[in-house]
Amino acid sequence: MQNENRTVVHYRMEASCLDLALEGERLCKVGDYSAGVSFFETAIQVGTEDLQVLSAVYSQLGNAYFHLHDYSKALEFHHHDLTLTRTTGDRLGQAKASSNLGNTLKVLGRFDEAVVCCQRHLDIAREQGDKVGQARALYNFGNVYHAKGKSICWSGAEPGDFPEEVITALRKAAEYYEANLCMVNELGDRAAQGRTYGNLGNTYYLLGNFRDAVASHEQRLLIAKEFGDRSAERRAYCNLGNACIFLGEFERAAEHYRKALQLARQLKDLAVEAQACYSLGNTYTLLQDYERAIDYHLKHLIIAQDLNDRIGEGRACWSLGNAHTALGNHDQAMHFAEKHLEIAKETGDRSGELTARM
Amino acid sequence: CEVRESLNDPQSSAVANFEMDPETMETKSLTDYFNKMHRDVMMGMS
Repeated sequence: MQNENRTVVHYRMEASCLDLALEGERLCKVGDYSAGVSFFETAIQVGTEDLQVLSAVYSQLGNAYFHLHDYSKALEFHHHDLTLTRTTGDRLGQAKASSNLGNTLKVLGRFDEAVVCCQRHLDIAREQGDKVGQARALYNFGNVYHAKGKSICWSGAEPGDFPEEVITALRKAAEYYEANLCMVNELGDRAAQGRTYGNLGNTYYLLGNFRDAVASHEQRLLIAKEFGDRSAERRAYCNLGNACIFLGEFERAAEHYRKALQLARQLKDLAVEAQACYSLGNTYTLLQDYERAIDYHLKHLIIAQDLNDRIGEGRACWSLGNAHTALGNHDQAMHFAEKHLEIAKETGDRSGELTARM
Repeated sequence: CEVRESLNDPQSSAVANFEMDPETMETKSLTDYFNKMHRDVMMGMS
């Protein structure tokens, strides 16, 4: 009888922890990560003796914090998950925990540690004959080396003109993305191909291989359209526009940015709409079509004001001042130059302030 | 030029920066685990 009671109590406790965690999972699936975190944390407080459930809760809690951009908390829980799966000898669980830990360390700029995690993920996936896992580890490796390269880019340098250390990291990133592409092509995983083409395109871009960058982003665009993924489509158009600028193909760049703008409006994303307007303003400046440049810089200015983005506002004023100068509208040029100076002083933008004074 | 300068300022709407595809996080599904547990119980009862 006493044993039976203990079983019932134990069952209730288990059900409660799992129920809370299931609710946390449901909330995260619909994008409510904050509410998901509350349920997972309560589930941990209730406790469970089922270590597989505990591992899943740690893992999902880590992912929820990752989506909430609380990376130190994400790190903490993915680390708990790794320790737990090591203790239980769960190899697949260890691989997944290592992957998530690696992604988190990458965001935190701890690239050497992230590489160790990616390697562990890759080793376990190979040991288990898990091709999907291997492909994902290669993608993560690419992301780590890309982020490492980007983090040490010289602020004044342009794509294709970085120090050797940056080039080495970016070349490694490209190698890992290319190795990943071989595997995901073999697996027929179009979604994974899309992601890799996008990031490979950005790596080629930083390496100064703008033709290859365009080819990769065109593939990314094609796959985004296949999936009806408008966010990815918008990103691809924006990245294509950037590469075309460096190829000196300004008309083509404008065409891509216009499509990015159209999609940003459909997606009702004001910040990316502002970016597209700014890019279009700059592109029309390069095309010496100053009337259109003013039109887009004004659109950017209005959105930057709405978003209370003073740096964006300052840049818009600076660009408007230049465009009006080119058209000989001296009063307007002076108005925007003064506005730019005022914002540069406020935001502590010393170089902006010096430029404005000139 | 301004287009290129803006590559270095990720905090602003004025960034003409390139955009990355997202990280792929691994998931350990509790729903799958729960369904499997439920199936096992049902099979044990039949």
